[in-house]
Amino acid sequence: MSTLDMAPGASPHVATPGGEMYPDVIDLAKVKAAHLPLYTERESATTDGNTAAAMAVLQMWRCLIYPGFPITPSTKFIETIAAKVGAQQAMGGRKRVKLLEAEHAVADYLVAASAACRDLVFVTATSSVGLDHMTETTRSLGASGLGNAMIVNVYRATANFPLCIEGDPSDTLGHRDDGFIQLCCRGKQQIYDTVLQAPVLGMHPEILTPTMPGFYGLKDSHRNARFTVESDAAIHAWQDKWIKPCPLPGLLNGDTAMGNCVTSRHFQGFKINQKRRIEKVIDILPQVGADFERTFGRPGLAFFDEAGFEPGAAPDIAVVSMGPDFGTFEALRSRWASKKGLKVAGIAIRLLNPFPRDAVRERLAGAKVVLVVNQAHHSGRGHLTLDIADALSDLDQRTRIVSAFAGIGGADVSEPTWEAMLEEAHDALSTPPRQSYMVFHEGARL
Amino acid sequence: MSGYKETALKDSCFRAGSTLCPGCMESVAFQNIGRVTDNGVKTIFTIGTSCAEVSTLAFPNVVAWGRGSDSPDDFSRSFAILHNVFESAPTLAEATRDVADVLTDIGAMKRPVQILSASGDGGALAIGLRSLLHTIHRRARITVIVLVNEIFANTGFQYSPATMPYADTSTTPAEGTPGNLNPPLDYLHLAIAAGAGMVAQLSPAHGKLFVKTVERSLQADGTAVIFVPAPCISGWKFEDGQTIELALLGARSGVFPAFVWERGKGGTVKDCAMDAAERPDILEFLGMQRRFSHMVVKDKKTGEVKARPERAQDIEKLRAWVQSNVERVYGLGQLMK
Repeated sequence: MSTLDMAPGASPHVATPGGEMYPDVIDLAKVKAAHLPLYTERESATTDGNTAAAMAVLQMWRCLIYPGFPITPSTKFIETIAAKVGAQQAMGGRKRVKLLEAEHAVADYLVAASAACRDLVFVTATSSVGLDHMTETTRSLGASGLGNAMIVNVYRATANFPLCIEGDPSDTLGHRDDGFIQLCCRGKQQIYDTVLQAPVLGMHPEILTPTMPGFYGLKDSHRNARFTVESDAAIHAWQDKWIKPCPLPGLLNGDTAMGNCVTSRHFQGFKINQKRRIEKVIDILPQVGADFERTFGRPGLAFFDEAGFEPGAAPDIAVVSMGPDFGTFEALRSRWASKKGLKVAGIAIRLLNPFPRDAVRERLAGAKVVLVVNQAHHSGRGHLTLDIADALSDLDQRTRIVSAFAGIGGADVSEPTWEAMLEEAHDALSTPPRQSYMVFHEGARL
Repeated sequence: MSGYKETALKDSCFRAGSTLCPGCMESVAFQNIGRVTDNGVKTIFTIGTSCAEVSTLAFPNVVAWGRGSDSPDDFSRSFAILHNVFESAPTLAEATRDVADVLTDIGAMKRPVQILSASGDGGALAIGLRSLLHTIHRRARITVIVLVNEIFANTGFQYSPATMPYADTSTTPAEGTPGNLNPPLDYLHLAIAAGAGMVAQLSPAHGKLFVKTVERSLQADGTAVIFVPAPCISGWKFEDGQTIELALLGARSGVFPAFVWERGKGGTVKDCAMDAAERPDILEFLGMQRRFSHMVVKDKKTGEVKARPERAQDIEKLRAWVQSNVERVYGLGQLMK
């Protein structure tokens, strides 16, 4: 059929703040019907983190095209998708992989694909300088209102001198002003579950903000673990309960202009609106997480994981960290606390942007000392330290903060390192920290 | 295909009110392309940062795009436009095409769409050459419009890889020097080599051919790339009312010969003789623009343009470049694939 053969005629359309929308142009039921399931029932799988993330997006019927470009340590994400999509194509599957020439092109592609149809989900994975290379466009994407775009960020040191390919979250922390909802995962189950929940959050009509779930390179991207995989049908039922047709038009079903320049007078309004949308995450995320847990029986999205907090009893030392090294702290916490006769608890931050300031303050209130473990290079006291200091600044009683750097460049935060940091926190119960920040490695204060 | 008059009466998706300079060729090109695309198929434009973007999509001052004064009842007359950064326009169009194609493939979308991207030569040939060539290489079924004004006009008339030799730009200033000394990038050849289905160098000064070429591009197999020579009244520094005349003279004198090429069919040069003696002399083209005032001088009484004595050798070099340029474009016409 020639593109000119379609007879003109009136089409149903509705007015929206983003222009006219022609809702009948795209039949989403047919998209869903074309999905070939990856899993027909709940199973357990043993994979690495990249594969766990890839499986989650392969199971979503809204994911039709996967743009990608390889970069260590995220490469296996697109390799896994290419293999599965290829196998499904042999069985009549209609999903596609789109290999582009560079990360910037991938980001451009994400913008336009997400704008073309706001009811589909477009996902890619990247890392480190790959994320940097996308930056010119990720900032546009972050402001765009396109909650159906997702970048899975596999953490790796973004400072490229010297080069380090291991899991250091300086990349994701360096992109906190890109305008994405940034979620940190640890463990394969959490990676898989977070990727399933991310579009529900991003596409919520009050949020409409792209998402950036992330996990540590090598520590989580390359190591295998067993986790539960849900059936595609169960995932679809849960996501469909939350994700409704976008109230704004896309390029394909709309008479609309997107990505305009604006004058400075209107720029304020756009940015305030962007800020307010992302701040809605603080209200909506707990609802999504709770419903996920009710549905699947596993913890859903949360502002942070926590260990050791007792009802009505504030800890002497509260630890703030993120990522899989928090597990080492969890393993030694009770033993070390008993030995010292102290109450020790901790949180691992999961929502990096917007930072859950109030919830963190509430959780840490009453702790005598807060030990913040930063795992990324920062020109000041550490990204997390600044957030925690800000969160605690509203408390009537000032909390003493011990700021530590450990695990930079993806190094393991070993038990001796945790113990050395906790010793500093212990000392700070009686005397101020000896430095504004301290650096630890393999049990030693450097 | 529509007749030229019929096309002229159609409703352009480029509306009044842009802040492009009066006499800008980009505005003329958009008016024409906008009318050609009023053909019963929904139109989507993608646009990279350029004069064309900041002057036509500056909310709320101007959004000079859309078909009809209200959103059309008929979906096929609806229009959408997406802007992103300088180099992005071809990739944006490619992604939109892919989404439309996959939805069509599974029967979820039955209405056709036509997708065009618009970039400047800075966006397409400097910062965006990678994007342009790879989108072509992937055979994206889109029409890529590159508005070639030979400068980064949007940022103040700096050198671009399409700047012709001896031009005075703000980063190749002709202050005691002959201006730009780099020959322009052979973008026509690059587009063909990358795998384009159709490549043209053509401005609306060749009105009928321009309209016909844009129409054909919408049906091209693979990527169609139309480089539109775009005399820039502010950057080239010519007088009011001379845009079309200058575009014609540039084409006829051999600076940017009108050229249309299709894969498997080869290409033809229009309105530009191979023999220099049969073409207008380059001095006429130079004499109309103050960006070459360091090269030529115009007699105010007679209008005669002469090479400045101290630039006589440079003028000869420029003539040699023009001849090689014409021969190069004729040579490209011989390529069949």
